[in-house]
Amino acid sequence: MRIYEDLRIVQGRLSILQSMVVGLLALLLIHFWNLQVVRGRYFRAQAENNRTRAVSLAAPRGALLDRKGLVLVENRPSFNVVLTPEHSEDLDAAVVRLSHALGLGEAVVRERLARRPSQFHPVVVKTDASLEDVAALEARRMELPEVSVDVVPLRAYPLASAAAHALGRVGEITERQIETREFEGLEAGALVGQAGLESQYNRSLMGRDGYRRVVVNSRGVEVGEAERQPPVDGPSLTLTLDSSLQAAVEQAFAGRAGSAVALEPETGEILAMTSIPAYDPNRFTTGVDAALWGRLSTDPETPLMNRVIQGQYAPGSVFKIVMATAGLQEGVITPSTTFYCPGHLSVYNTIFRCNRPGGHGLVSVEQALAQSCNVFFYNLGIRLEIARIASWAKKMGLGAPTGVDLPHELGGLIPSPEWKMRTQRVQWYGGETVSVAIGQGQVSVTPLQLARLAAIVANGGRLVRPHLVRSVGGVPIPIEPPVDLGLKPETLAVLRAGMRAVVDGGTGWRAHLDGLSIGGKTGSAQVVGKARLEKNPTLTAIVPHGWFVAFAPADAPRIALAVMVEHGGSGGEAAAPVAREILAHYFGLASPRAATTAVVAEVAP
Amino acid sequence: MIDRRLFFNLDWVLVATTLILAGIGVAMILSASQTGRSADLYLKQLYLVGLGVVAMLTCLLFDYRRLVDRAFLFYLIAVVVLVYVLFFGPRIAGTRRWLGLFGVQIQPSEFVKLVAALFVAKVFGDSRQESLGLRDIAGPGMAVGLLALLIAAAPDLGTAFCLIPLFLSVAFLAGLRMKAVGSLALVLVVVGGVGWQYALKDYQKSRIYTFLDPSLDPKGAGYQKIQSQIAVGSGGLLGKGYKQGSQAQLGYLPARQTDFIFSVLAEETGFLGVSVVLGLYLLLLWRMLDTAQLARDRVGACLAAAIAATFAFQVVYNVAMVAGLVPVKGLPLPLLSYGRSSLLSSFLAVGLILNVRMRRFAN
Repeated sequence: MRIYEDLRIVQGRLSILQSMVVGLLALLLIHFWNLQVVRGRYFRAQAENNRTRAVSLAAPRGALLDRKGLVLVENRPSFNVVLTPEHSEDLDAAVVRLSHALGLGEAVVRERLARRPSQFHPVVVKTDASLEDVAALEARRMELPEVSVDVVPLRAYPLASAAAHALGRVGEITERQIETREFEGLEAGALVGQAGLESQYNRSLMGRDGYRRVVVNSRGVEVGEAERQPPVDGPSLTLTLDSSLQAAVEQAFAGRAGSAVALEPETGEILAMTSIPAYDPNRFTTGVDAALWGRLSTDPETPLMNRVIQGQYAPGSVFKIVMATAGLQEGVITPSTTFYCPGHLSVYNTIFRCNRPGGHGLVSVEQALAQSCNVFFYNLGIRLEIARIASWAKKMGLGAPTGVDLPHELGGLIPSPEWKMRTQRVQWYGGETVSVAIGQGQVSVTPLQLARLAAIVANGGRLVRPHLVRSVGGVPIPIEPPVDLGLKPETLAVLRAGMRAVVDGGTGWRAHLDGLSIGGKTGSAQVVGKARLEKNPTLTAIVPHGWFVAFAPADAPRIALAVMVEHGGSGGEAAAPVAREILAHYFGLASPRAATTAVVAEVAP
Repeated sequence: MIDRRLFFNLDWVLVATTLILAGIGVAMILSASQTGRSADLYLKQLYLVGLGVVAMLTCLLFDYRRLVDRAFLFYLIAVVVLVYVLFFGPRIAGTRRWLGLFGVQIQPSEFVKLVAALFVAKVFGDSRQESLGLRDIAGPGMAVGLLALLIAAAPDLGTAFCLIPLFLSVAFLAGLRMKAVGSLALVLVVVGGVGWQYALKDYQKSRIYTFLDPSLDPKGAGYQKIQSQIAVGSGGLLGKGYKQGSQAQLGYLPARQTDFIFSVLAEETGFLGVSVVLGLYLLLLWRMLDTAQLARDRVGACLAAAIAATFAFQVVYNVAMVAGLVPVKGLPLPLLSYGRSSLLSSFLAVGLILNVRMRRFAN
């Protein structure tokens, strides 16, 4: 039996509360009747006549400067023609008049209108409109109250295609990108980095957009400003690039396809990065037209690819630097070990040829580097075996992305028995090791990896992380400390002496410059290129790519570089002269070719 | 555990009303955020409604008397959490209201309202006095005042104010003498004056000034009030149509998914929609107070009344704010506004009411 409490007072007072609630809600309802029904017409007029709208103030993207502060990428003012459908009484007529005034197809305007996120969104009808367009619209201002002209910053690349791949390009955000986390908060039409540094540092470069809240009357004419949130400019990036050296590199290629990258051996700062053929990023800033995009993306010469980080080639004889290092470090050879080269080596039922058919005779590792003797390295490779070769190649940064601050870097490949078993389910056989020993077969690397390889010899055995950005908005980016590979002094001494001998009378003699000691190594990457050859029989795709890596001055190196000339033949013939031009410019020396042009220039006027 | 027969006594009208209001909230949030940067806000709210229903049902498993018995413990926890948030909570938009819990930010003050309701139910429910004087309510008043002060310091004045009607209504129910009610009103006026002088931040004062005369600052603090009033008024009898409200869609109603969601509703569905939603709130509040009437004991009556009073205050204040009748304060509309903590707390509050009602016959 439960005992009920006496709740009479509570219940009595609850009734008072209940009536209060009913009363308050009734009062509110009466107030809403008054606001919405009695004074509805007045407020409706207010809503029509006193509309405010938010106008976005685009934050200028940060500029890109070279290491000396010269402008590489900047913004220039441009005009956007904007249609605000909300202000239009007869949208159809407005579209007809507008497309007539601008000389645009009506379909283009209608398509852009259809893509806006809501009926109240202003639509950019034409980007980077000419002064004539603006004048034509000004003249029809009264007929087209729904059209306005905004001044917006537009990306400009004063160097055009120079360093295009490193700097990258901007473009309108794609529908796929809008949905990704990286681009959260951006709306259709936003310009974002689509390649290179523009993409890698996009968020930082974009700054923060501001807005203006303007009061407009029912005809859409601005009558005042209610609020303003100024945009925050994107900070400028100071790059490690040296624009003068960059220009010299582009010039040294003289239009041949290929790539080159130069860096500071101690820090990994990239001084120049070139990939040819290139494209002009200015063509993308207002949205790329389909024809140009189609041409660029299907071109067999792949102008959109950054060969320095995405081109994967056999390193050829440049790989002998790795072989020599591995042999000396593992104690398989000493600086005085010699092998006899008769011009070929017969092992595994195969005859492996040397680059000099007559043979080099008795050679040490230093001479083998200088003359690029294959037989020496065949012998060394057989003794090292693939596991130790692969291990040293990976230690020296080959076959994996370098971690440069650019998007979509590729890694290349260092083959190993495990890799072969995993991917092809076939056993490794000894002959492959012999091919790998001279950088052929399945080995593939990027030019940036080879430049860093040269830097290892130059800086005393340390693996640096190549990078392009020094500071963001004046705040330096901390440099990762390089990885010390623990090379023995005698290993380094042999590598340096051997690479100097390459330029002083060895296979890379064409890189020689009076007044500068240079260490270098030539190489050529065998290419099959069958598919491309069938398409275009006149193509020289069967000719190997020429490599040249170098550092200078040999005793206290300040620059390390890798040059690759596509289908240029041997590295000594094709790539070494290009490297010579680059080094001559960097050290302010007269190169034979530069000298001739200088003479011509003097004679001409 | 729970007796299956208890579910026969569940107040299905209250459950249905709650869900309909929450559904209207989701629909209005969808409309209010379609042009903004967070178009999927309505989905988040939808998940939260699901979570809220689970929380509400979980709340039914425990007899409300057991919960009220532990009110002092809850009170202590609330004080510790509020102090912690005040000193160590992340600073968001100049306030420290938030507590990171399992990776989500929650606003403890929303849940402190429930703790306060349990607390006053405990204090006044156990009291056997027929009539109370000011001296009898001074102690509990100060205890609830401490919670309010800690919340106000965040600063979150809106939520802090909620505790006043919560406390007073229960004190009133418990038999506060009419003379005492009168003198309390006087004290409130004096405290209000002193608070104006010393406790209010400048932005809060300017909101009140511009409330009194919006034309003082039409671009600044008066902006919200003016724009909200225009939105409401221009809605007319039948509204401009779902997703068609120019005021809301052009995006100059600040906080249109949260505190000003009712303004979107008023603009797009007009007086008709306003009447329907206010009618639903009336039904909800009526069922809540009805529960207090039917409760089997004082504790239950006090608990239900405390929750109903808080709810009623929030609804009336928010709707009056949207209509431009009272100063703008950060106070969400229960069940309709977007907001994780607010929505969960509202569902838990309904859960407590259901709890009291379904156990009215049980021994």
